[in-house]
Amino acid sequence: MLHLEGVSKRFRGGNYGVRDLSLSIGSGVLGLLGPNGAGKTTLMQMIATITRPTAGTIRFDGVDVARNPNEIRRRLGYLPQDFGVYDNLTAQEFLSYFAALKGVHSRARINEMLEMVNLHNVAKRPVGGFSGGMKQRLGIAQALVNDPDLVIVDEPTAGLDPEERVRFRNVLADAGLGKLVILSTHIVSDVESVATHIAIMNGGSIVACATPEELMRVAEGSVWELVVPSERFDELRRTARVSSAVRKSDGVHVRIVSGEEPRGGATAAEPTLEDAFLYTMREKAAA
Amino acid sequence: MNRQTGSRVAAIVRADFLIRFRRASTVIVFLLLSGFAYVWVPATSTGRTLMQIHGARVLYNSAAIGMGTSMLASIFIGLFGFYVVSNAVRRDVDSRCGYVMASTNMGTSEYIVGKFLGNVVFLSTFVFGFMLVSMAMQVVRGEAPLEPLLFMKQYAIATPSTIVFVSVVAIVFESIPFLSGRIGDVLYFFFYCASLGIVASSMEHGGGGVLRYFDFSGFGYLFEQTRHNFHTTSMSIGSSTFSRAMAPVTIAGLNLGGGAWATRLVSTIAPLPLLLIGLLFFHRFDPARLRAAGAKGKRGWMRNFNALARPFGRPIAAIPVRGAALKDAMMTFASTPFTIFALVGISIASLAASDSLPITFAIVAIFIADVASRDRRAGTTGLIYAAPRLRERFVTWKLLSSAIVAMLLLIAPVLQIAFAHPIRLPALLIGIAFVAASATALGIISGNPKTFIVGFLTFWYVVVNDKGQTPAFDFAGFFSTPTMRVTAMYAAIAIVLLATAEVVHRARLRA
Repeated sequence: MLHLEGVSKRFRGGNYGVRDLSLSIGSGVLGLLGPNGAGKTTLMQMIATITRPTAGTIRFDGVDVARNPNEIRRRLGYLPQDFGVYDNLTAQEFLSYFAALKGVHSRARINEMLEMVNLHNVAKRPVGGFSGGMKQRLGIAQALVNDPDLVIVDEPTAGLDPEERVRFRNVLADAGLGKLVILSTHIVSDVESVATHIAIMNGGSIVACATPEELMRVAEGSVWELVVPSERFDELRRTARVSSAVRKSDGVHVRIVSGEEPRGGATAAEPTLEDAFLYTMREKAAA
Repeated sequence: MNRQTGSRVAAIVRADFLIRFRRASTVIVFLLLSGFAYVWVPATSTGRTLMQIHGARVLYNSAAIGMGTSMLASIFIGLFGFYVVSNAVRRDVDSRCGYVMASTNMGTSEYIVGKFLGNVVFLSTFVFGFMLVSMAMQVVRGEAPLEPLLFMKQYAIATPSTIVFVSVVAIVFESIPFLSGRIGDVLYFFFYCASLGIVASSMEHGGGGVLRYFDFSGFGYLFEQTRHNFHTTSMSIGSSTFSRAMAPVTIAGLNLGGGAWATRLVSTIAPLPLLLIGLLFFHRFDPARLRAAGAKGKRGWMRNFNALARPFGRPIAAIPVRGAALKDAMMTFASTPFTIFALVGISIASLAASDSLPITFAIVAIFIADVASRDRRAGTTGLIYAAPRLRERFVTWKLLSSAIVAMLLLIAPVLQIAFAHPIRLPALLIGIAFVAASATALGIISGNPKTFIVGFLTFWYVVVNDKGQTPAFDFAGFFSTPTMRVTAMYAAIAIVLLATAEVVHRARLRA
């Protein structure tokens, strides 16, 4: 479905946003994970035809995206990072506007989308008064209004409270059935329940691309759990790669990603996606 | 144009219209303009008239009031309309809605045409509203019955060329990175004044030639008709004095006889090819092109200017919020490095030409216009309010910041007047304070810089054209030494504006 080969984006100053990146992916939800500055946004902007790659080719169902951008635009839904709204328009007007730009004129479709994202009750209200979560849901509604085959959402949950994040994730999972959804984030929990594939990016390149199960399998034997007293925790945090830590009455329960068994009575643990992400990043850094 | 193209362009025009007309600043500007219509059609018993030709006032019929107010509308749109509409693309960049647009099938030409037509519709609506208010003035002060069709004809002849010109130039300037910011704002001001002056003056003297086809303001045509009908080009429009000894002149208004329709039509469509330049330069929200444009020319200027400005900042040290105000003032120079050229230009102009003070005030106004509202527009108000005392003293802080920038820009004329005409210095300083206070108050109340730019430049236009005949208008002593009463009046207006801004600000904090 989506095939990237040797894709690079070099900026005028000479630095690269994305460097020699190759990737093939079919339908499903691709979670694009990586730290800030990894090149996720640049990659998504190239796929969304907003900026052209300086090298390489991007093909969607065999169509060269850079040469025939309108071919993909017809089938594309895009929600950019830090998506803003026109404060003075109502939700319905806002969605109608973007629907019209995408060639969708059905009022029923607009109402259907507002219902899907649970904004139908506030459809006549100016969006300037919406919460961050409501604005993001309106954003996903505009991305899906043309029933796209390819949906690209860039850091959609940034700034949302936990409840809104879960709601947004569910909306995306429901809407993404049968499509290719690319969801970028640096928060692993955003993708672990919905992603069929995970691509980990760092420094403009793909470090790993596999199913979540495969990524977690690779990290097996490198994740440890131990309980340390509070006073030892700070030292441990400085010396080891701590995946998570929970304070309890008997001390701090720590998960550590390490190739070697840490001292102090650690036991091997089953890797989570967060552990697998940290493991992959650590391996890449070591390499 | 296929159906899809038409519907996309229509959607852009409709959205722009709704966004603009639901803003408080639009209502404020519209009310200001309506207020000016009242001022500019004075009762003749006051000794003033909307229009005088060779000293004689015109009879207030539909042709005269329609012609006079349509020419004023043309001036307003030409001078200030640009500043009102030149944020159509910027809004899409700031909100990132432009990225979504760029990922749709919307063609770049559809976007440019849509934004252009959006500007046309917005400005036309403004002109239409101004025309209705002017018609009401005809009913109130007219000396002949209202003839709506004749009235509308004057507007139809005079204003379309300006509306199209401003709408095109605003989009073209926004599409060219170099002209899309403050530099474009300043250049436009001179560009419009020059084009108005060159075309109108050449046609006024019976020449014009090919220039008559570029008479965007319609003033050249007005002079040509006046010269033809009354054998003079000595006329003024907009609350002028007249000779009571002379009988009123009855005019028939503008008409399109003798091939004039062709010159007006060509003047209206002549700017359209410029849209191709906009199309050529438009970034289509490509972040790589936006980033490249934004990064140009900023590094180095801040450091250099900070060094230059440091000595001026020391006297501010006695003020409690000195650090924050000075830093905010420096932000103006950092965000618009071109300001340094304005400083140099104003300094040279004040030494070279003693009558350059009015124009320097117009430039200063453009540079300080966004000081009070830029944090709100950038979404950094929360950060600002977290700083000690800035939340409570926001109005004072922004006033100081605007005043520092204004003082730095006007430092040469201030020093020159301090040494050469010290008696005029208080009026000049109050004038600067008045401008800074107006920029601060209108910026805080409306949340954008356009309200102040439009309001102040309209007022400035009146003051400059009045040439000191009405002493109460001369707020900074441009033409003479104002009386203490006038100076005190502007100081009082500044205080009232700031107090209003303070009330609005505190109400927002409580909300």
